[in-house]
Formats: sequence, C-alpha cells, structure tokens
Amino acid sequence: MATTTATITLASTDLLSDELALTTSATLTQAGTATGITQAAGLSRKTTTATADVTLFTAADYADNKADKVYIKVTNTEAARYVGIKLGSATVGRLYAGDWALIPWDGTANFIYAPGSTDEITVEYMMFHEG
Amino acid sequence: MATTATFTLTSADIAGDPVNVSKTATCTKAGATTDLDQTTGLNRVHLRSTTNKVLLAANAEGNDLSAKVYIINKATDPTLYLTVTINAQTIGKLYAGDWMFIPWSQTDTSADIEVAATNWTASTGDIPVEYALFHEDTDFLTNA
Repeated sequence: MATTTATITLASTDLLSDELALTTSATLTQAGTATGITQAAGLSRKTTTATADVTLFTAADYADNKADKVYIKVTNTEAARYVGIKLGSATVGRLYAGDWALIPWDGTANFIYAPGSTDEITVEYMMFHEG
Repeated sequence: MATTATFTLTSADIAGDPVNVSKTATCTKAGATTDLDQTTGLNRVHLRSTTNKVLLAANAEGNDLSAKVYIINKATDPTLYLTVTINAQTIGKLYAGDWMFIPWSQTDTSADIEVAATNWTASTGDIPVEYALFHEDTDFLTNA
C-alpha cells in the first residue's frame, strides 16, 4: 500500500489583525477506506498558445465516484495569464500565474482547463486515482 | 497583505522513485500582483444533510474575480465523505481528513459551492467541516 501525503499551509502575518497559520496533512486514501491510493498520473507539463479547451483527464477513462485528486499549477510568472478550470461544462474557477489547486475529482465529468489567452501558458499537473 | 498557500506532496512508494512536490503561491487579485485582502476566516459547521447545502453563496459581483476556497472534512471515520458541488456539477468527494484548495469563479448566482453529507445516517454522527474563503470581492459579506 502506498502512502501519499498532501499538506497545505496557509499563512499570513498581515491579512488579519492576528496571524494566520494553518497547516494540515491528508493521507490520500481510496474511497471509504484507510487504504492508501495506489495509482498516479505523474507530474506532467503542458504549454498552450491557444484558447481552446484542453482535456487533461477524460472521465470515461476512470471509475466514477472514487477519491481521485488532481493537482494543477500555472507556472507562468506574468500575473495576467490564467487558465479556467472546468468540470465538463461547469466552471470552477481561474488559476492565475503561480496559483495551484488540489481538487477532488469524482470522474463523472471531463477535467478541463481553458487557457485565458493565446499567450504562452504552461501548467503542471498530476493525478492520484483508483483506476 | 500577503497570504501564501503552500502545497507539499510526498510519497516514497507510489512510484518507483520518491515523489516530492512543494509549491508556494501568493494569493493575489485577478490578473494582478496585488494581494488578496479579504477572508471569511476559518469556519466550522457540522453537516448531517444528505442533500446539498450552500456552503458559499455565489455573488455575481465576484464574477471572475480571484477567490480561493479551502475545505476539509474533519471526520475520522474513513467511510464518511462530503460531496462538493458547484453549479449542479459534482466536483468530487472529500473523505475523512481530505482537504481541497480550489479557485472559485462566481460566474453567476448558480455557482454556489454546495456540500452534502451524502452517506450520513443518524448512527454515523455529524461530519465536521471546516472551510475558509480568501477573496477580493467587496460585496461578499455573508457566507450563505
């Protein structure tokens, strides 16, 4: 059984009048069990220069209603560049330059991103899944 | 007013070689280097509804402004999960201990972020859920 740990740290010394310091870790497990998730689509990188939707993961290739997780990051440094994250036709949100997300994915709709412009935009991504 | 979000992922055995990823993002306003300056703070609710409940209500004023949502399922029973939905589309399931950190475009008033304790029963106990929103929309005044 593989052990994969995802940790988030949210920190700010000046957003509030008191310091924000939140750290939590999750061991990625299979749906409804304490068994570690065992399959991964390793860290990948894709660059676009068009605004056409890019399907990162096709729902039909994965089982539905599992505990899959998708990590995605925009590696650009130009602040105005972004990608829109979509599940099927539903917009989730925009990741701007330097932003990352960890998104649970139940495999019922394609995992898509839409580049915000024809400028060169690069994303890195990986997925942990149950097949 | 810098708020940073750091992601670290480690695994010694999911692949033939160790996986170690660590990335830090500074949460900024849309298309700018200006820091996000508003937050709901960390909230906690106990969920027992098997149907969707609005966790964060979309505000049309926030359309395509920058917003980041953090949600964690604080249950310890590994069978208990939250179903997270946006705009009638299931995003995914958060099992006990799982967390998510996602961008949120309030594309319209249907873009609420909703959660359901899908397999809750009277015998399972409530599912504790903690969440926070970091945003730039000045008209976002309430959570739901």
